[in-house]
Amino acid sequence: MNKKWRGVFEQFVLTSTVFLVFLLAFEDQLVVPVWLQSVGRLHPLLLHFPIVLLAFLMIYEFFRFSQANHSAKEIVEKWVSDLWILGAALTGLTTIFGLILSKESGYSGETIFLHKWMAVSLFLVFSLIYWLRNLSFYQSLSARISIAVVSLLLLSTGHYGAELTHGNGYLLAPLQQNEQIYLEDALVFEHMVKPILVKKCISCHNPDKKKGELDMSDVQNLLKGGKNGKLFEVGKPELSLLLERIHLPLQDEKHMPEAGQPQLTAEEDQILSLWIKSNASFTKKVVDFPASDSIRIIGNKMFSSIQQEGQNHDFSAADSETIDQLTNEYRTITPIAKNSPALRVNIYNKNDFNSKKIEELTAIKEQMVFLSLAKLPVKDSDLQLIAQFENLERLDLNFTNISAKGLSVLKTLNRLKSLSLSGTQVNFTDIQAVLPVFKKLQAVYLWDTPLTQDDIKHLSAKFKNIQVIGGFKDDGSNPLKLNPPELKNTSTIFNLDAPLTLFHTIKGVEIRYTMDGSAPDSLKSPVFDGKVRVSANTRIRARAFKTGWIGSDEAVFEYYKCAIQPDSVTVVLPLNRVHQANGPKSFFDRNLGSFNANSPAWANFWTGVRNNDMELNLDFKTPKTISIVSLRIMEELSTGIFPPQSIEIWGKTISGGAFKRIHVLKIPVPKETRTHELYAIDVKFKPALFKEMKIIAKPLEKIPQWHGAKDKRALLLVDEIFLN
Amino acid sequence: MEKEILEHGLNFNRRRFLSTMSLGLGSVALGSLMIPGLLNGGDREDTGFTPGIPHFAPKAKRVIYLFQNGAPSQLETFDYKPKLCEMYGMDLPPSVRGEQRLTGMTANQASFPLAASFTNFKQYGKSGTWISDIMPYTSKIVDDICVVRSMYTEAINHDPALTFLQTGSQQGNRPSMGSWLSYGLGNENKNLPDFTVLLSRGIGNGQGVYSKLWSNGFLDSIHQGVQFSKGEDPVLYINDPAGMARKERRDMLDQLAQLNQMSYEEFGDPEITAKVKQYEMAYRMQTAVPEVMDLSKESDDIVKLYGPDCLVPGTFAANCLLARKLSENGVRFVQLYHQGWDQHGNLPFEIKSQAKDVDQASAALVTDLKQRGLLDETLVIWGGEFGRTSYSQGKLTPENYGRDHHPRCFSIWMAGGGIKPGMVYGETDELGYNIIKNPVHVHDFQATVLHTLGLNHEKLIFKHLGRRYRLTDISGKVVRDILS
Repeated sequence: MNKKWRGVFEQFVLTSTVFLVFLLAFEDQLVVPVWLQSVGRLHPLLLHFPIVLLAFLMIYEFFRFSQANHSAKEIVEKWVSDLWILGAALTGLTTIFGLILSKESGYSGETIFLHKWMAVSLFLVFSLIYWLRNLSFYQSLSARISIAVVSLLLLSTGHYGAELTHGNGYLLAPLQQNEQIYLEDALVFEHMVKPILVKKCISCHNPDKKKGELDMSDVQNLLKGGKNGKLFEVGKPELSLLLERIHLPLQDEKHMPEAGQPQLTAEEDQILSLWIKSNASFTKKVVDFPASDSIRIIGNKMFSSIQQEGQNHDFSAADSETIDQLTNEYRTITPIAKNSPALRVNIYNKNDFNSKKIEELTAIKEQMVFLSLAKLPVKDSDLQLIAQFENLERLDLNFTNISAKGLSVLKTLNRLKSLSLSGTQVNFTDIQAVLPVFKKLQAVYLWDTPLTQDDIKHLSAKFKNIQVIGGFKDDGSNPLKLNPPELKNTSTIFNLDAPLTLFHTIKGVEIRYTMDGSAPDSLKSPVFDGKVRVSANTRIRARAFKTGWIGSDEAVFEYYKCAIQPDSVTVVLPLNRVHQANGPKSFFDRNLGSFNANSPAWANFWTGVRNNDMELNLDFKTPKTISIVSLRIMEELSTGIFPPQSIEIWGKTISGGAFKRIHVLKIPVPKETRTHELYAIDVKFKPALFKEMKIIAKPLEKIPQWHGAKDKRALLLVDEIFLN
Repeated sequence: MEKEILEHGLNFNRRRFLSTMSLGLGSVALGSLMIPGLLNGGDREDTGFTPGIPHFAPKAKRVIYLFQNGAPSQLETFDYKPKLCEMYGMDLPPSVRGEQRLTGMTANQASFPLAASFTNFKQYGKSGTWISDIMPYTSKIVDDICVVRSMYTEAINHDPALTFLQTGSQQGNRPSMGSWLSYGLGNENKNLPDFTVLLSRGIGNGQGVYSKLWSNGFLDSIHQGVQFSKGEDPVLYINDPAGMARKERRDMLDQLAQLNQMSYEEFGDPEITAKVKQYEMAYRMQTAVPEVMDLSKESDDIVKLYGPDCLVPGTFAANCLLARKLSENGVRFVQLYHQGWDQHGNLPFEIKSQAKDVDQASAALVTDLKQRGLLDETLVIWGGEFGRTSYSQGKLTPENYGRDHHPRCFSIWMAGGGIKPGMVYGETDELGYNIIKNPVHVHDFQATVLHTLGLNHEKLIFKHLGRRYRLTDISGKVVRDILS
């Protein structure tokens, strides 16, 4: 820099000083013309240059007197000198611009005061050093003092400036540990609304920088509003200025937050709107709102519940060795969550249980918050032990032998929230007397106890804070239909005779049945006593009855006699590919098929033919006298499953030679459709001796004209054959 | 000399490499301070996961999943669409269908006539939830359940959809939800498996249920689901063979355990310890199982509550009752499957019968858990693998129609442990075809289920073949709106 330029800068610095002093002296009367406002707004840009320059120069100055002389030093010194005056000039300019900017509306208060005077001091001190620093008294010590003063001023000016643009406490905010707020404690304004204002509004609307004459940093000023009036209309978000400004298009000059600043998220917008709608209370808790309320729903998302976190347990954790020792296969002890001292204890197996199993738990009496003793023979005397488990929150005594009187010793359980007494013998008077003992109780379970529904209602009315659960008790107003009786036999096919083994899964059911084909009823038909035997083909029809229930539908069981079994069966003509069942074995395996095509009994038990006859050869090691051959078939006309058109029985009395036709049975073709049925077709003939037998069953060749599949071949399905 | 020069060169390079590297490494190390888990790979310790202990205190301790296999139609059960009556028989507008792929069963259909539900809906309870007339018992518990009408999935066929819901992947071989819970929460009762499976079927068109659905995948086999079947031996091969006394069995197991311990010391295969644990568990189950499976001591009230079928082994009602008993005894996850909900045709008849099979018992289960004080800590889930189309598959007549698979929306309900009761979540459009509000992806659903059990789905991780696996794979958001 030549002398001329240096002179210009020096002049500028001096002029600026004078100018600044003048402006500051008449600050109150200062009116900034509009065109100058834009100049003022360059302040946030400009300020970065002097900061960098000044910082650099301070570093140089720090080492200046510790350096040895060398050839380049002079040149460097000259450069530094130039930069110094340049830095001073820029500082001056920035300060002036800043002063202009501060005259815009919205800046007042302590921070701007400090920022302004720090900046002015910085400018003056730094400029002064320019002229002093080449004088002889200016040595190492004075240099260091200068550095200290300039650096301090530079840092504080910068810091207060940043607070003005970003809001108070901006710098240290991330370091300040936010206190965990639990749902139960959260206030709608303090913890949901205010954080939004702090994050998105307060940097411009605070006591120091009241843009639009609005300060949002405290409740009073928030209620007061700004120069355009009140911020919100209680209960009417749609009429509230606050939301109107937020909802204006981003390009609109009045849109808030200003374009370029972080905008509100949809949820923040929603929170503000819901808060105003719910009468803008400053004291209401989130949990004061019903569970279905939108504020509550958002609150649930924002805050974790104490209960959920399990962090309301202030006791110390139990020794893990103790826990391990107490744990065995019938007693499980687990922490309720990772890093939680609280423990859950479940005890199982009534055969292994005695009072000692509870007593041993005293080692972890402080930590236990949940104890389940359901279905164990717990006695009233054991409750004394449980009374020591001071932090219990849930106690499950379902189906134990305790009494309501005995429960009074549990008054020490100040944290008990849930008490399960279902299936115990507690009575109304005693339970009514004992419930007030539990101050924190929220729910008590009293299903399957001697208490009546009226007792439960009475308790619910008396203890408003406790949920009294009575559960389901059948009052007979809604009778159900019993399911039909069942049969214990694995097969209803027998050689000589078989027991009738009807049964029903519900206790106390009366089964009435008939064996003559008539419909069973609840009065006249015999009651099943378990002593009946069946010795001929019989259709059993049975129904179940019980007071308080609607009688069951009818169950039908077919008993079949099959006195003679062949020693081998051969299928002469092929079975349908999909109706193979178990091959030749299917016919005498004593398994009956059913209608349900989804059940395995369908595919495994029904053999079928359509395109050829069903032709079977039966062999007997010793010749047998037979007079009835029965084929059990399925008839389901609608799907084209018809009875055969004829069944032929052929026989041989000795091995070898030709078969002789014994009998042919023609079966009439159904004339119209009828409900599907499973039944046996008996082919009866004069008793004859068989060494070998051939059975030929011919499927219907032409389905009759009335049927949708007329003229096609019908399917024949056979599951079992009986020989008598 | 040459050698020395070479060596010097190498040394120099090595030194230079290291010093340069150290700077590089230093800056990476510095950077890594700001990216937690970048360099240490987020191993178990870092995810803060200890198998057997939940991440945070859970609301639910156990799950009973009443899986309605075959996909029940939402339009005849929980998602009321009166608009379909107005538009009965009209073609589904192509704009509504959009790019939705169709199954091979309806893709070639000439038209897509909209089919209204044959059954009526009414509002029930304080919550005013709409429930169809074929679910009279469920309608009585609406204030205890949360109906989610906006479930959606990625699969369009039964097996992949079912596998997706259960394991988080459409292909098999991943651990089932029950196995993840067993892994994440450990057991409550050491005498019963953590994860049990019960099957039943209705008369409706059925779809397969395979044991891969309760597979432990790559987790230890101790987390595998154990199927309890109907009949005298509910758990196969658990009883001592004829002629073997219990004491002998004990001695045999002790000897076997010693042998196994030796081979564990030699090979260090964790499957060996898993096996030993399973033998021991089976031994204890010999006494625990008969007690749990014994329904003869259930009171008359219970039988009336669940309906008379509950004493007939193998029915859905009996399985619900068993599920309650197992859950009450500390089984973490009881998985039921009820088959027969695949109504491509003959829907009005079949769905009525299917609903009759499950309605009373499902509602009874919720009531029964509640009266024992167990509903608070037991999560009950009811639902299928996807939804069904609002247009008819096949011919639409006033009496009869069918519905094809529909992955874009379906309804489920959840009750108990940590789920808000008496609410309806999500919404579908007027034609019940697309979701218009609060969609819940299968992974979101899984994340929510894990959350109620105190497990963070992003931290319940198992590393296998170099990859970290989660039930929710790489997505899933907890549906906080339905949490209580």
